[in-house]
Amino acid sequence: MASAWKEAIRNAARAARKWADRVSAPVAPLKPIVSHVIYEPIRKVLLTDEVSRMLFDEYSAHRKTERGTEETGWVLLGIRNGDEAIVMVTLPAGAERDAGEGHVQFHAEAQAVASRIVRQSDKRLSLLGVVHTHPGTLRHPSGGDFRGDREWVRNLRGGEGIFGIGTVSDNAPKNGVAIHPQPQTLQYADLRFDWYTLADGDKKYRPVPVELTIGPDLAKPLRKIWTDIENHAVAIDRLARQLMNVQFEIGESLNILVGLAASGQLRACIEGKSVRFFYEVGEDAFQIDLPAGTRPDQGIYLILAELAARG
Amino acid sequence: MDFRPLNELERRHLITALRGNADGNRVLLMDRKDTSFAGSAEEVPDEEVINAIKSVPCHY
Repeated sequence: MASAWKEAIRNAARAARKWADRVSAPVAPLKPIVSHVIYEPIRKVLLTDEVSRMLFDEYSAHRKTERGTEETGWVLLGIRNGDEAIVMVTLPAGAERDAGEGHVQFHAEAQAVASRIVRQSDKRLSLLGVVHTHPGTLRHPSGGDFRGDREWVRNLRGGEGIFGIGTVSDNAPKNGVAIHPQPQTLQYADLRFDWYTLADGDKKYRPVPVELTIGPDLAKPLRKIWTDIENHAVAIDRLARQLMNVQFEIGESLNILVGLAASGQLRACIEGKSVRFFYEVGEDAFQIDLPAGTRPDQGIYLILAELAARG
Repeated sequence: MDFRPLNELERRHLITALRGNADGNRVLLMDRKDTSFAGSAEEVPDEEVINAIKSVPCHY
């Protein structure tokens, strides 16, 4: 009974969202992109092998969860190079996504923090596009997708994005090897992704050939701390926007490093819901005890205030 | 030594990249096999990526 109510509320919310999308003004580009590179129309999508593996593995794992009938998806980062887009990063929709059988809205705050982390090592990485799944056999973006994407692509390099659609296929190869039935399609076991591009001003999506190359998914190390990223995304994003010298270290836990003007650095080590704080200077390190439940940004500001007071 | 003339698109790319190199210190990429111009790499500001992520529309 409770689940029937839940489903009814979700359906109502979905219908309201679709209606709002139709009547609301188009999303304006946030800020004109200044670029010294001439981008040609995308004629090829290159996925690294680890990115491709991640998409298939996570789609398969998603379908086995309680929310397996819902749509899911990923944001893609990589490099625009002439007429090709090389995908090197997948950022998952997240547990806090808003999704149902007919829609998915990603947990963007967490993806934004993750983008800061992966881009520390390569500032050329830009947002290339989005992959999302459909529950049936609609193997291309829907009319609802088009209404949102046609405005959104203006925020991307070259005014063009790539869009992958994940669906289930009836005829699964039995030998455990992926197949490439069409230039724009990759299929592994019973799952397939079909790839499209959409540029500013286009009337419809265009199928685009997809190929694999050897390379990493730079966001793979973030998967084990994704829950922590989601739990603290707003605080971390605020900290990174307000302070200049914020860096991240990924080990077994997520570490936020804040460089100090004089010498040394502050470290906030996030482990689940708890955050531990350290002051590191030279070879010395001091643990700083703050009340349980102190947020990462709150703790950093308290310590900065204390250090300022001590001169 | 090959003095191959550039086509219009290549010429535009090279001029834009050289301008970016002079104005904004953008990297010029070189093909290591024959030292030919292989495009330019451009750093993308954090805010551009984050704004694009935060404006991803709902997908259906």
